[in-house]
Amino acid sequence: MPVFRFILQRVLQAVLVTLVVTLFVAFAVRLTGDPAVMLTSESSSVTPEDLNRIREALGLNQPFHMQYFDFIRSLVTFDLGNSFFRGSIRDLIGIALPSTLLLALASMGISILISIPLGIHAALHKGGISDQVIRVLSLVGLSFPNFWLGIMFVLLFSIAFPILPASGFESWSALILPATTIGIILTATNVRLVRTQMLETLSAQYVMVARAKGLNERAVIYKHALRNAAIAIVTFLGLQFGNLIGGLVVVELVFNWPGMGTLSIEAIAQRDYPLLQATVSILAIMIVAVNLAVDLVYGLIDPRIRVA
Amino acid sequence: MSFRHPFPARNVLRSAVLLSCLALAAPAFAQDRTLTVGQNRDPQNLDPIDTFRLSWGSIGSNVFDGLVFRDEDLEIQPGLATDWEFLDDDTRIRFHLRDGVEFHNGEPFNADAVKYTFDRLLGEEGLKGPQRSNYTSIREVVVVDERTVDFLMERPDPVLITKLAGYGAMIVPPKYIEEVGEEAFDMKPVGTGPFQVTEYIPTVGVKLAKFDNYWNGEAKVDAVNIRFIPEDATRIAELLSGGVDISMNIPSPSVETIEQNPNVNLLAVDGPTVVLTRFDTSKGITADPRVRKAIAMAVDRDTIVQALLGGLANPISSAQSAKSFGNDTALEPYPFDPEGAKALLAEAGVEPGTEITLDMPSNDESFREVAQVIAAFLGQVGLNVNIRNHERSVYFDDIIENGKTGEMYYFGWGGWTFDFDNTAYLLYHSGERNNPYIEDEKLDTLLDQQRETYDREVREGALQEVARYAHEQALDLPLYNLSTIYGVSNRVEGFVPAPDERARYMDVTVK
Repeated sequence: MPVFRFILQRVLQAVLVTLVVTLFVAFAVRLTGDPAVMLTSESSSVTPEDLNRIREALGLNQPFHMQYFDFIRSLVTFDLGNSFFRGSIRDLIGIALPSTLLLALASMGISILISIPLGIHAALHKGGISDQVIRVLSLVGLSFPNFWLGIMFVLLFSIAFPILPASGFESWSALILPATTIGIILTATNVRLVRTQMLETLSAQYVMVARAKGLNERAVIYKHALRNAAIAIVTFLGLQFGNLIGGLVVVELVFNWPGMGTLSIEAIAQRDYPLLQATVSILAIMIVAVNLAVDLVYGLIDPRIRVA
Repeated sequence: MSFRHPFPARNVLRSAVLLSCLALAAPAFAQDRTLTVGQNRDPQNLDPIDTFRLSWGSIGSNVFDGLVFRDEDLEIQPGLATDWEFLDDDTRIRFHLRDGVEFHNGEPFNADAVKYTFDRLLGEEGLKGPQRSNYTSIREVVVVDERTVDFLMERPDPVLITKLAGYGAMIVPPKYIEEVGEEAFDMKPVGTGPFQVTEYIPTVGVKLAKFDNYWNGEAKVDAVNIRFIPEDATRIAELLSGGVDISMNIPSPSVETIEQNPNVNLLAVDGPTVVLTRFDTSKGITADPRVRKAIAMAVDRDTIVQALLGGLANPISSAQSAKSFGNDTALEPYPFDPEGAKALLAEAGVEPGTEITLDMPSNDESFREVAQVIAAFLGQVGLNVNIRNHERSVYFDDIIENGKTGEMYYFGWGGWTFDFDNTAYLLYHSGERNNPYIEDEKLDTLLDQQRETYDREVREGALQEVARYAHEQALDLPLYNLSTIYGVSNRVEGFVPAPDERARYMDVTVK
């Protein structure tokens, strides 16, 4: 069965990629510094014996392959083990992962709500003033660094007009500023994508046929053009989700959002190997999984892609 | 820049938007008498013996008590011990314990709790953490009776009483730890302090509630909500927008913004942290004391303090603050004298245009500016400075420890005991991890001597001698002592800024 073969192939690929990523992360993080030294860096009377005792207690004196094996086992069993300094990793991820996913979904939602109507509008009025304005605005949007936009929003909506919380996640209103920041950045790309896809489908023969049948313009646009354009748009959004997770790190820091980005940065600063391995691997697995899902869905829709 | 509110329509707008987000903003609006604090780091573990972080101090100091405590003027006061005496040629220190104290879980405080605390610190559990090494001068704690303990000393430790106010010596409840286990204690510890931990959410914050049976009065707020906000700009934004009442760890570039805002105040006290540039005294041109003196004379520290640090620092003549035990007020820094510096460099045979390197950790924003200004000052006397940045742990773990620095390198240290012994020993004693270059018999002798006696005069003399000797040899270039800076909202009353960042919230009220 070619479909099964295709699925199996892609899943095996994803597993392989994940293994390579985890191996690389586990290896690289150990090159950069010693957690025992980090732990005692503010202490004044530490002897080499003290450091050795701490290394022993943290399991750092074991050979690399043992440490890596422990890590993979903890990953596979979803136990995740303990961080060097702060208890159960599963508990930490249990707070961080949902927060990050919530922020990512909210930003994508905002972006979709803005970019689809604007993109359709621009495509329908190609070359007109509104099209020009939308294109210029999206270029401006693309040129903003996301952290800068975030800081500007805080200055405007938390300090000049104190209507929204500047940071944290103590109330649902705290979601508005970070989600809008990322949403706007995403919108800049998505508007252009929707516009191009709509232009392509609007000039397709089936749209001409639909118009020739005498269907009203609304039905032509939403039922025929948009549905066909949607395939490409959905695929793109799927892939964008992966990039989005990576890009969240900076915005999470600006808004002090208790997510995976903040957690990873802290783990790096501390050389908390188990925690860093777990966060980076989980992010990598998510990105691989989304790519896999897009691949599979696409392959099932369009048989040409199955030829691997 | 100032963030005033010139728009009268603000409140209308605010209520309009508030109404529209009411559905969203339902949970978690704070109760009335809650103090909200923003600090830059999550201590990651609330067990006092598992940490060395200042971010623990501003939480733990409200939850735990030691046998003694150090107040905001750095004076040692009786804590859970009412008084103490030195016995048997100072080899035994007897503490009389306070009556009627209980832990947050109702467990009584007594001699057993003290013994358990130090057995735990000096035993297996303490080995896993960074605090133990500070207390190894204690051989054993012996229970004399319910209200009396004896500390049997392994060796003299003149700073012991101060250290008993330190993190590692915070008294912990034996029964509670045995019951819930070490891991649970890390996340939800119990002490005898004015507040108890109600919730600790890693990376997010800690919530404290008033402890009704506190032995030393009653907290004025019902709850304290401590939020971890690592990003400086975000923490300041929360302070200015009223999201937090007190913001700790104000970086010097933000001082102006806060001073100009009518709703918040800046409180600054001299802190423990000193910043210096050290020299590679073992090789190259900085092996010559004349070159080191010339560098010290070429840098105008007053300008650095005024122009870059907003005046919130004090120039220093040795690696300690004015409040430190062992500071010699008679010792003056080298005067700013570029001509004299040039002459000294010429005498040492250093050609104008000679290149030297200054190493520093890359994440220190305020020192980055200082380093550039130092480079400019040295450029004026003919030394071209290359500034090299390193990731923080690489810098301390490798560059300094293994002596891979250039001619000059950054060093910052907060001697939390405010006793020069703490800083001087690690800077000047041979074989210390942070001292890759200096091996000097005279310094070793002086530093060892003062560790062996409880005689304050002898110790002060020795420590001042170390400071003078380091100055004469220009072993390093002491720059300034940083202030500890708090941003405090006008709503807050009764907050006393702690120099060591061990902020206490018991007497604070919020309007």
